[in-house]
Amino acid sequence: MLEPVTLLWLLLVAALIFLIAAPLLKMLLISFEEQETGDFTLMNYATAYGRQRYLDALRNSLLLGLLSATISTIIAVPMAWAVSRTDMPGKGFTWAMVLAAFVMPPYLGAIGWILLAGPNAGWINQVWRAVTGAQDPLMNVYTFSGMAFVIALHSFPLVFIFVKSALDLISSEMEDAANIMGAGTWTTMRKVTLPLVWPSILGGFILIFLETIALFGTPAIIGIPARVNVVTTQLWQFFEDPVRVEVAAAYAIPLLLITICLIGVQKLLLSRKGFVSQTGKGGERRQIKLGPWRWVLFAWCFGVALLAVVKPLLVLLQASFAKAWGRGLSLDNLTFRNYRMLLFEHDMALQSVWNTIWFSAASASLALILALLVAYIVVRKLFRFADGLAFLAMAPFVIPGIVLAIGFYAAYAGPPLMLYGSALLIILAFSARFLPIAYANAQASIRALHPEMEEAARILGSGRLQTIRRITAPLLKTSLLGGWLIVFIVASRELSAAIFLVGPRTRTMSVLLYDLSEQGNFELVSAFGGILLVITMVFVGIGMKLVGRDFMLRRD
Amino acid sequence: MMMIDRRGMLALGAWAAATSKAFAQGPMPEHERVLYEAAKREGEITWYSGQYSAEASEAAGRAFNERYPGVRCNVVRSTSQVAFQRLSQDLRAGVAQCDILSSTNGGHYVQLKRQNRLMQFRPKNADGLLPILRVADPDNFYQSSVLGIYLLAHNTRLVSEADAPKSWKDVLDPKWKDKLAVGHPGFSGAIGLWAMEMRRLYGWDYFKQLELNKPQIGRSSIDPVTTMNAGERGVGVAVPSASTLFSISRGNPLKLIYPEEGVVAALSPSAIIRNAPHPNAAKLFMEFQTGVGLSTAVRLLFNESIRPDVPPPDGSRPLDQVKMLAPSIEDAEKGVPEVRDAWRETFGI
Repeated sequence: MLEPVTLLWLLLVAALIFLIAAPLLKMLLISFEEQETGDFTLMNYATAYGRQRYLDALRNSLLLGLLSATISTIIAVPMAWAVSRTDMPGKGFTWAMVLAAFVMPPYLGAIGWILLAGPNAGWINQVWRAVTGAQDPLMNVYTFSGMAFVIALHSFPLVFIFVKSALDLISSEMEDAANIMGAGTWTTMRKVTLPLVWPSILGGFILIFLETIALFGTPAIIGIPARVNVVTTQLWQFFEDPVRVEVAAAYAIPLLLITICLIGVQKLLLSRKGFVSQTGKGGERRQIKLGPWRWVLFAWCFGVALLAVVKPLLVLLQASFAKAWGRGLSLDNLTFRNYRMLLFEHDMALQSVWNTIWFSAASASLALILALLVAYIVVRKLFRFADGLAFLAMAPFVIPGIVLAIGFYAAYAGPPLMLYGSALLIILAFSARFLPIAYANAQASIRALHPEMEEAARILGSGRLQTIRRITAPLLKTSLLGGWLIVFIVASRELSAAIFLVGPRTRTMSVLLYDLSEQGNFELVSAFGGILLVITMVFVGIGMKLVGRDFMLRRD
Repeated sequence: MMMIDRRGMLALGAWAAATSKAFAQGPMPEHERVLYEAAKREGEITWYSGQYSAEASEAAGRAFNERYPGVRCNVVRSTSQVAFQRLSQDLRAGVAQCDILSSTNGGHYVQLKRQNRLMQFRPKNADGLLPILRVADPDNFYQSSVLGIYLLAHNTRLVSEADAPKSWKDVLDPKWKDKLAVGHPGFSGAIGLWAMEMRRLYGWDYFKQLELNKPQIGRSSIDPVTTMNAGERGVGVAVPSASTLFSISRGNPLKLIYPEEGVVAALSPSAIIRNAPHPNAAKLFMEFQTGVGLSTAVRLLFNESIRPDVPPPDGSRPLDQVKMLAPSIEDAEKGVPEVRDAWRETFGI
């Protein structure tokens, strides 16, 4: 007899194949095809790796990914620990700043940082010169490290959210045990607390690495003036006329191998260690008293907030209310015209706002449902080959958005499905693109959930699906809402996949922002960015309220 | 790739509406009327537009709708490369969606023409275009629909008018080290054309000397305008007049410089796809583009008028008083990839 769960498993396989395997397979196939004839050839690979410049771009991407992920981890782990486990002041502020850094589209942040740390006109450098009389700039955003830093300032929230939600689940008893054995706060954190959340740190690190090497906006805005070529800007070159999709595919495919390696490494590092911290047996969570050190931690959080959010936001805010941003801060340069134009006069602005909200919400829901089911099957090892599903679910992260979009376009835009120009095409592409985030989130949550609780239900006669519905899902509710929010936010700022798939009626805010930025109209770009941020913050506020209430319930 | 698109969005309601209304109510010549009747039966036309900015494309679409009620223009605006990619995918999948392709990349048309994928049609209105635009293709597979002007500009706060460079050659002076900004031929077709013209005038050595001045390289030809607005660099090289004029209209301290050697003119055509689902509406749209309708709509957004009987955008010189350097589409197809490659060797990006 076919159990419902087996049916579900088959459906899941079909969904993943549709969303991920088919577009990828299409890419893999064309990477071995001759452009006009479709005959088998290896020439695409020879072309893709035949030049030093192309190899340099690959190396630059890997280095950039490592550097950004490292900086992000250094920034985020102390913040997560401070917010989750200690009595540091200003936690609400820190949370808000982390979310603000996260919802700010990276290209918007990059523009802000160009204004802040441009070698000649950047505010920071102007102040520095005025104060010290120096000739050389203090910071130059147009460098490799400058670019990595700017990317990290907008990706560290991934590590923060992962690590914090893992830390939230650890009960103080484990730390108490260490304390009783004579370990101080510092040693306990290093030897007990952090190792328990090691999967989350590693997961966040890997996601940022992968997100960085797939990023297009920031490398285009900062990397080109900095004369740093990376994989995505190189891929762009393969799309120049004559378009060499085949070569681009060949150039993109080894990135998949990197993913396989990374997942392998992750498995290796996490194997044979227990990270179960949620056992259903209760447990108390207390804040660690830090004394004066709490101000040191707060200073750290404040500094990060200043760099990641406050400063770029101030610069953009100034531009959004300016008649001409080149004229700087002055009263006669102030205007509401940019906002009025967008809200009341612009043809596409409001339509794109609505598109963004509902595409993102639909994608987040779809991605999360899939991710939850896959993660459950993988973590509980319900079927053989479950790891294959995990790989599929993680794979989209390394595919640059533009390549994924082309895979989707090639596979589904034309007959038989004819999805071109429809909202569904974008929602499907977004779901596929952000499945890894949802998956990593769901997997980490389920991993922390001891099977005993489900087994208890099973022993009492509940079926597998009922157990998931009645036991597993309610236990995961909070972290799932967190996962949904993350996908919603990243989808709402997604650019590279969207730009290729939007039709006349399905333009999103990020695409419109990019269009406006190409037009050099940064006053309007800033104002529109401001609207995007406000909308996202409203959604985040609603979500946080719900998450917060849930936390309260659990403590009772 | 990005060439003429991007422009501002000053489509200030009343003004634009009044002008387009006048045009919409003007008399319709016989050849347009015949096409219009046939087009009404088809009901719509799909325009893949990569030439004008989203706003200008939408404005042109609206002007078309007002002039020819009953024929709806679906504007599918993207970058030219994406528009072409989309069309190629359509053709490969055997789907007929696109009626008219407007790309800033002349090579697209050469390729499509070679593959026999374009419809032969000469709009009558093309006879009234600026002389250099009248015959884009002797075989009439494509017709001029946009003209972009690229020149020098300076930030008047950082560089005084007396000090500002007067010619393309002037920017090679070492006194401009770390003060120049320029786009990238890999991102902007117009920068490719400009590079071809500089190579023709001064040889590739021009760029080796330019690199000694360490220009800040952006992507689109508009990036230097932004860079000048921010005050990061004082002189923009090969910037589009339209975006610069728009920036000036917002109060940014910029000024156009018409170089002594001449401005670089980027001409791009539009073409009807052979399997166009709405062939008569497509022909009507070609008449609209080459007629006064398109120029009237886009000049309000600081795009050049392509007809002598429609005045140029405010703040620019009439094009019959300006020397223009304009490579042909065929030369560009061969030359742009060459200079793009050479650029990457010289500038390392």
